[in-house]
Amino acid sequence: MADRAPGSRNGWGEVTASLVAVTVALLFAFPIYWAFSQSLRNPIDTYTVAGLGVPWINFTPTLDNWIDQLGTPETVKALYNSTIVSVSAALLALVLGTPAAYAIARFRFERWKNRDITVWFLSQRILPPVATVIPFYLTMRYLGLLDTKFALVLINATFVLPYVVVILRQTFLDLPVEIEEAALIDGAGHFGAFWRVALPLAAPSMAAAGLIIFALTWNEFLFAVAIGSSDAIMVPVHIAGAIDTRGVQFWFMGVRAMTAIIPPLIIALIAQRYIVRGLTLGAVRG
Amino acid sequence: MRWTGKIRFLFLAPAVIWVLAFTVFPLGYSLYLAFYKIEQKVEVKREKQPMLDAAGQPVLDDAGQPRTKNVVIKEQVNTATFIGLDNFKRMLTDTQVHEAVRVTLTFVLIAVPLELVLGFLLAVLFNQHIFGRPILRAFMILPIFATPLAVGYTFFTIFYEVGGPLAWTGIPFLSNPTWALMSVIIVDVWQWTPFCFLVFLAALQGVPDELYEAARVDGANAWDMLKEVMLPLLIPTIVIVLLLRMAEALKLFDIPFALTGGGPGVATQPFSMLAFRTGLRFFDLGYASAMSYAFLAVIMIVITLFFRRLRANYG
Repeated sequence: MADRAPGSRNGWGEVTASLVAVTVALLFAFPIYWAFSQSLRNPIDTYTVAGLGVPWINFTPTLDNWIDQLGTPETVKALYNSTIVSVSAALLALVLGTPAAYAIARFRFERWKNRDITVWFLSQRILPPVATVIPFYLTMRYLGLLDTKFALVLINATFVLPYVVVILRQTFLDLPVEIEEAALIDGAGHFGAFWRVALPLAAPSMAAAGLIIFALTWNEFLFAVAIGSSDAIMVPVHIAGAIDTRGVQFWFMGVRAMTAIIPPLIIALIAQRYIVRGLTLGAVRG
Repeated sequence: MRWTGKIRFLFLAPAVIWVLAFTVFPLGYSLYLAFYKIEQKVEVKREKQPMLDAAGQPVLDDAGQPRTKNVVIKEQVNTATFIGLDNFKRMLTDTQVHEAVRVTLTFVLIAVPLELVLGFLLAVLFNQHIFGRPILRAFMILPIFATPLAVGYTFFTIFYEVGGPLAWTGIPFLSNPTWALMSVIIVDVWQWTPFCFLVFLAALQGVPDELYEAARVDGANAWDMLKEVMLPLLIPTIVIVLLLRMAEALKLFDIPFALTGGGPGVATQPFSMLAFRTGLRFFDLGYASAMSYAFLAVIMIVITLFFRRLRANYG
């Protein structure tokens, strides 16, 4: 990256700025580090740890908490449920949203203009979820789908659909339309042009969108706690429930927080390039 | 350039139908509920039933008659009474509602500006020549994707007043009503400042070098550069981030759920938590729906502003 900033030509300014930046970055990483440090402590070290709680320096670390928690059937079930629901919701949203994004990017709509359709999809994302949680709960109860992964897939796919539409709309707009037109002239038809030409080119974007919406479903709590209590328990609900039944056991809380946080963090690092565009719903191009 | 043809509706239809089914239908349903008083009662009935053995055959008594047993049947009965606007009127005098509105507004009005200002300053800082910027930037991304509920519980341990890492400050982070709300704000600022930072940094890096050069030639100092070059160019981005954060912050739920449980008392119970509890913990479904609709009306104002701004981006 080029040197573009004011006052950075001077060596001392650079050093000061770097030091401040390092401090800030460490400050933001601290809570996650703290949860990790707690997950390695013996119960006896919980409150007595000095300094920054650095393993081996301030206390002798142990993996017992991890072994205990990951060996609990409830934890395994929550991790399994969260994985299944997040993957299914992401795939479903991609299947529904990608053709819609293609339609908005490539075709002209008249009565409702293309931008109106995009904004309509987006408005759904801005709605407060608490407004739909009660009727959704009642509908699922009526259908006998309470506490099922299926119900959670349905609602999460709905929530993440706007992300797919907006991210992929931009992707298709960025693809050269000429290749698809050539395919149309060769008699491929619009569906063929979409399926055989545009879709393979959009695959990397779809993967990135898929990762981001996986993380969003993984982190979702309101609907998870309303719909899934035992059979369809999700990771955040499991964390909340464990506090209620077992009390505040910081060492286990550290493990549970880490198991929840690690998968979306890995995704964030992989999909870095797409985060700005994704999370601003395409309003800012990162 | 853009194509027409009926097939376009085929591409679009599945997603549109899906959103209608899972967003528009529930919204309509909850509007209907808002005008009703829904009561859930459990009716207890006693019934005599024939006793069965393991093989499913009736058990006979000495006289050869089937034995019976008393069974208690609990049946959930829902009654819905139309009460017009009473649910909405009730909100006007409900102190819990007033308190939740106060908590939500205080939260939004403090947390969101703080996130924007800090995010902007950090973006300006990171826009300079800094050692190891990609790694530091990656560090800064972590909070955005950390599971909010897990974050809430982690901060619960950090703010813990007996033996937590901040206990030496003597600050009643969670037990004092005002501090508890501040703690919720601190956690939200921790989680969402990086988002503002990331977006602003992306926007700053899109500013052409020539502009800085030109300003430098004109003898601008660092402050002029910030005020005259960076800030004006970033205004559209700032507005979008502001509206996006406001819409999200109004939905506040996960962090106080984990960090304070809405307490002490109801000092950190935001509106969505109140509506959630009213509906799905106390099953006062009509009243909770009315709350949701009132909430929706407020959020619509933000949304309208947001989309007026956003529509231009999708031209």
